[in-house]
Amino acid sequence: MNKKLFTLLSVLVLASLVLTACGGAADEPKTLKIYLLDYTPDTIAWLKSDINPAFEAAHPGVTVEITEGSWSGWDTTFAGFFAAGEGPDIINLGSEMNTLYGENLADMESYLGAGAWDEISNFGPALENAKYEGKLRGLPIFTAPRYVFCRTDLATGALPPQNFADWISFAEANSVVDPATNSLTQQALVPVDAGSMADWQWWLLVFYSLGGELYKADGSPNFDSAEALATTQFLLDMRQATYGPAADAVGNLPTGQGSVIDVDDATGKDNGAVCLAHSGWAAPAFDRPVWENISIEPFHGDPANFPNSRPVVLAFNDWLAVADYSQNKELAAEWLKMTFSKEANHKWNETMGLIPARNDAQYGYVADSPQLQREAELAAEYGVGFAGIKEAAKLSTIMQDALGKLITEELTPQEVNDTIQQQYSDALGE
Amino acid sequence: MFSNPYLSVLIIAVVTVVFIVVCSYGLGSVARWAVRMRGASPKQQESAFAGYFFAAPWIVGFIIFVIVPLSFSLYWSFTDFRIGSGSVASWKGLENYRDILFNDEGFRASVVNTLYLTVIGLPLQMGVALFLAVLLNQRRPGERVFRMAFYLPVILGFNTAVLLCWRLMLNTGTGIINQIIREVSIAVPLFGYLTRALIYGQEIITGFFLGLNTGKYNLLMRVLEAGFPADNRVPLWVQSPLWTKMSVILLMVWGCGTMMLIFLAGLNNIPKELHEAAEVDGATGWQKFWKISFPLLTPYIFYNLVVGLISSLQIFEPIFVLYRDNEPIVSSTISMVYYLWQASFSHFEIGYGSAISWVILVIILVFTLIQFRLQDRWVTYDVY
Repeated sequence: MNKKLFTLLSVLVLASLVLTACGGAADEPKTLKIYLLDYTPDTIAWLKSDINPAFEAAHPGVTVEITEGSWSGWDTTFAGFFAAGEGPDIINLGSEMNTLYGENLADMESYLGAGAWDEISNFGPALENAKYEGKLRGLPIFTAPRYVFCRTDLATGALPPQNFADWISFAEANSVVDPATNSLTQQALVPVDAGSMADWQWWLLVFYSLGGELYKADGSPNFDSAEALATTQFLLDMRQATYGPAADAVGNLPTGQGSVIDVDDATGKDNGAVCLAHSGWAAPAFDRPVWENISIEPFHGDPANFPNSRPVVLAFNDWLAVADYSQNKELAAEWLKMTFSKEANHKWNETMGLIPARNDAQYGYVADSPQLQREAELAAEYGVGFAGIKEAAKLSTIMQDALGKLITEELTPQEVNDTIQQQYSDALGE
Repeated sequence: MFSNPYLSVLIIAVVTVVFIVVCSYGLGSVARWAVRMRGASPKQQESAFAGYFFAAPWIVGFIIFVIVPLSFSLYWSFTDFRIGSGSVASWKGLENYRDILFNDEGFRASVVNTLYLTVIGLPLQMGVALFLAVLLNQRRPGERVFRMAFYLPVILGFNTAVLLCWRLMLNTGTGIINQIIREVSIAVPLFGYLTRALIYGQEIITGFFLGLNTGKYNLLMRVLEAGFPADNRVPLWVQSPLWTKMSVILLMVWGCGTMMLIFLAGLNNIPKELHEAAEVDGATGWQKFWKISFPLLTPYIFYNLVVGLISSLQIFEPIFVLYRDNEPIVSSTISMVYYLWQASFSHFEIGYGSAISWVILVIILVFTLIQFRLQDRWVTYDVY
């Protein structure tokens, strides 16, 4: 038995040695792995039919492999990549993730920086979101600010409301409840997370519109400021003006086809939102007839009470970063250069109807579409970046938790802000 | 490992096989040597070798995939290890455990929420499973179809399509569940009154539990001040923090198929003569169930209770699928394991997350031990 086992063992060891020797060949083909989140089928089809074949032709022996993931659960997936030190070479990140993953991302200055690639100067302010500690980690794809879209044919009262008091009156006047179902059939304002109306991203937009700064001069959090308290109070007031008190709240809007601000083709009824504070991708497609009755505005803050108020559109963007564990950094940079050329960046965004991150790629459909033209103007004039947030994941958790208790009236606005200030300071080690 | 992925996979597979064979041979040899040291005969030595040789793949797998990760987890729980921080894990002693047990309000809230889901959800889940098992045990036509239908949720699990269906069904205004409640309430006013009483009771209980989380009972007071719900009130399922936990319980109950099958097996094992004798004595259906079936089902109830308790203390999936994208209300239903996931995979605090997992392990162990200690008082094994 022992003899047979040793024979088997020897054969296997020999086989593995032979194969290992084969693996060391210098001209082995390489695979550049790219992980994208929730892009449209058109985008993926274009990348696979145009970009990747061109790249593979220019780099013999290289295969480009695209994996499609989802924003739902992305953090678990990325945690796995970074914990294992192995995964896709290029990953798809959101605005605030430069600080979250910065230390795990490759410094791409030597490949994509001004000294290495002339075209980098064509990128707009979104490029800042693709940096960590001042060094480029990748390239931004698009700019998708959060605007206030309003249905002029549904709204009662002046549009857009110019201060907090106007917004509260607007919410009361434009939210309609069906007594039979005790649920909303029309919601005056649908911000990010329509149900709670208290998502942290919406809070930040309102806060910035008051002239608020997230950090004080010494770097500590600024949730104990007057702007922060007014923001939290505003979110609560809006929620109550729309849904009523927590203990007797009405039901939310029914789920309709398409954008919440659009008309449902199947029923011919409005989906229910009068105003939508969201990115362009949550608005109706540009060829929808409803656009005749939609205005696009920034959020104006509360100039009546806060003189530093300013119109704001919170600028989000997606970007592609190169992971530090990647063994193909140079190849990744080459692929990014090809995919983020003027024409390619334009084409990529055309498949999604968004504004390209490259300034010189904002032609054609961008200039032809009155909506995109308006969005681009607002972004240029009032855009505020959603980046540079320290410990973004923790702040998100802390804020969501506290704001959840705000809408149930478990905590007062003051207590909510005190909680956030305390917990976020602890998270930052202040 | 290698630039050619196919070659890499092939080599890894070969090396793995070699590794398993070497480990098996090594473990078998150690076993043979050990029994030889104790004076075993050559035949016993060969038996020991063969036994451990063939058991080795499992033993090695257990060591690599269970013992080693557990050891790392235990070690990390005493450190500040964080993925991607760029620094090595440094020893913190018991600090993580102290924070979890005495300073972390979030963990305390997750414990309270988990207890709610366990104390209210588990009995409901078991009650429905038992009820369905008793119904299926009647041997009526179509029993197999219904058995499959009731077990189907276990197979489906909580995938995206299921999540979407539940979200649509639980919509306050247009969801089918509330539509049915509304229609039946109109047709049968008593049902409507009872529903509103249930809504009121449920909101008071949840308001109390939410108050436990924060130490403030504002919401409970508001619910009491608002008084008995109006005629048109329906549950605000996945929308309101007052209903988030009950929505999770609904999903728990929906997935009671495994418990139901175990109860069904238990009912099938009860000797028919006992029921026949009771019938001769004039027992009613309820008396037969309560005096004969139920006591004899207690071993099965005990099994379901132990497994169900462990499962509900580890609940994660229903909360994740229902509220993952609805973050401001997730805190109202966050469970211990969801909190562990958040610390480990959202905040990347592996050290802290490891400590949470060990605390959860101890909590589950304590509850399970208590159940085993108490089983003598109510579980009947006489017939078996």
